[in-house]
Amino acid sequence: MSWIKEGELNLIEKISANVLKAGPMPKHVAFIMDGNRRFARRNNIERQEGHTQGFNKLAETLRWCKHLSIPEVTVYAFSIENFKRTKDEVDGLMELARQKFERLLEERDNLEKHGVCIRVLGDLNMLPHDLQQLIAKAVITTKSHNKCFLNVCFAYTSRYEITNAVREMAWGVEQGLIKSSDVSEPLLSECLYSNNSPNPDLLIRTSGEVRLSDFLLWQTSHSCLVFQSVLWPEYSFWNLCEAVLQYQLSHKSIQKARDLHREHQASLQLEADRVCVAEHLQHHGNGKPADVQRRQEALQHYTTCRQERVQDFLKALKHKRDSYFTDLCSDGVQA
Amino acid sequence: MWERAVAALLLPVALVGFPDHQKKLNTVRNTGANANTLPASGTSTHRSRCLSDGRSLEKLPVHIGLLVAEEEPSYSDIANLVVWCVAVGISYVSVYDNHGIFRKNNSRLLEEIERRQQKFLGGDGSKHNVEFLSNGTDKHHNVVSCRPTVKVLSPEDGKQSIVQAAQQLCRSVESKERSSKDISVTMLDILLRESKNIPDPELVVKFGSVNSTLGFLPWHIRLTEFISLPSHRNLSYEDLLGALQRYSACQQRLGQ
Repeated sequence: MSWIKEGELNLIEKISANVLKAGPMPKHVAFIMDGNRRFARRNNIERQEGHTQGFNKLAETLRWCKHLSIPEVTVYAFSIENFKRTKDEVDGLMELARQKFERLLEERDNLEKHGVCIRVLGDLNMLPHDLQQLIAKAVITTKSHNKCFLNVCFAYTSRYEITNAVREMAWGVEQGLIKSSDVSEPLLSECLYSNNSPNPDLLIRTSGEVRLSDFLLWQTSHSCLVFQSVLWPEYSFWNLCEAVLQYQLSHKSIQKARDLHREHQASLQLEADRVCVAEHLQHHGNGKPADVQRRQEALQHYTTCRQERVQDFLKALKHKRDSYFTDLCSDGVQA
Repeated sequence: MWERAVAALLLPVALVGFPDHQKKLNTVRNTGANANTLPASGTSTHRSRCLSDGRSLEKLPVHIGLLVAEEEPSYSDIANLVVWCVAVGISYVSVYDNHGIFRKNNSRLLEEIERRQQKFLGGDGSKHNVEFLSNGTDKHHNVVSCRPTVKVLSPEDGKQSIVQAAQQLCRSVESKERSSKDISVTMLDILLRESKNIPDPELVVKFGSVNSTLGFLPWHIRLTEFISLPSHRNLSYEDLLGALQRYSACQQRLGQ
């Protein structure tokens, strides 16, 4: 089954889409696609078939998002916790992933036509090597596409992601690229696997469970959360519209909260820079307290230097991550 | 204008945001349950009622988070909720709002809680005093202590605390005490709990119509169940009990 479903919305779907689009629309929607196994049980089909139908539903949902002008979607495909399932089920899911990524590579022309960029987020080194190679090919093949973005969280949990970001910053300190005092909330965000995406505006979980299960905990702190009882393989265009409507109703309050948080974060950064500058002036000064102008210049200079350091570090991090994928691909060529 | 059009179009479709408790609340009230608020001159019968209600639930959260996503919180209603949570047998109750209002006014909140506790428990309130934690570190606080704990939380306990832990780890890397490769999930988790030993909340009850966690403890909520109530104002004991009953019925597969 294909990653891409073609086709227009029907008339009533189109009307609803247009009405929704007159209001604020989420630019990035995240899905916890829960309920494949319950769906399989309810319909007396194999569990594996439930997962397959779940994948088809993903393709359909991407089509709806395209028609609703939602350019970015992130999905929770496989949690690190899911490795705890039976060997049979895990192997089945890995095999499904292999098929899907192989299929993706077959459809590369179609993906180019639609401008779909695929990213895979997670601790990918936990996956079988051949699957890592397929993933690397998929990511590299679609890298330059920029019409819409699909982020697949695979071998992922939020705590592992946050820890990895901290590790990367520590690596940056080890390499002498940044100082420990450069560590900040925005910098941590830039070190997450999701750093190429804005935070999700809307997070939807299906099947009636009302928890986040270690998914995008950092990124969704100020997102609209919608829990729906429908099982994922039964998800409909109307379920999606319901969720978008919830987003629109919460939009103003959430925007206010986001702005408040951003302002607070900015003042924390300014304060942190001031402290660093004060320390520096104390150590390098001539004992006399610096005047206001000197302090202001020193602050500006410090902030600029910090920002440059951070940019260089982020470039190095990007290079490290890109190399991971290109190395995997060249491995494949040699094999 | 577009809001009305959308509402008109999607009216037949049931609105599902955070599962709304409203219908369930009305049923509880109409089945002749006790008066909305327990009488101010609480006696031990009401306290023992709460205790038995708590015991009759299949599971109780160790830590319940009260997330107030509404403007202008009502201290008396929050205090009621805190007192009831403790009475029912929950050992760690946290109160959060994303403006940090409770933190700024924590003495006022503490006063309200103490006042309500006195009324609720009658004469022997002093035996059951809660441990009230607000600013700063509570390094020596042991979650397993027999005194229930009330903790005031704000956004700084969330992402900011994670950033501080990250800075600490980076400083130790800078001074060559450890290597970046040593940094693991467990290490970060332990570090986060060193200065503020906040247990992961099993349940967060969110008050208000805003469908977001608004920065509440991102690291700690990975398995938290979220139950939404329309408002914390004039909330009754039955409303809270309904939320706890809903929580006790849920099952977690933990990835399996």
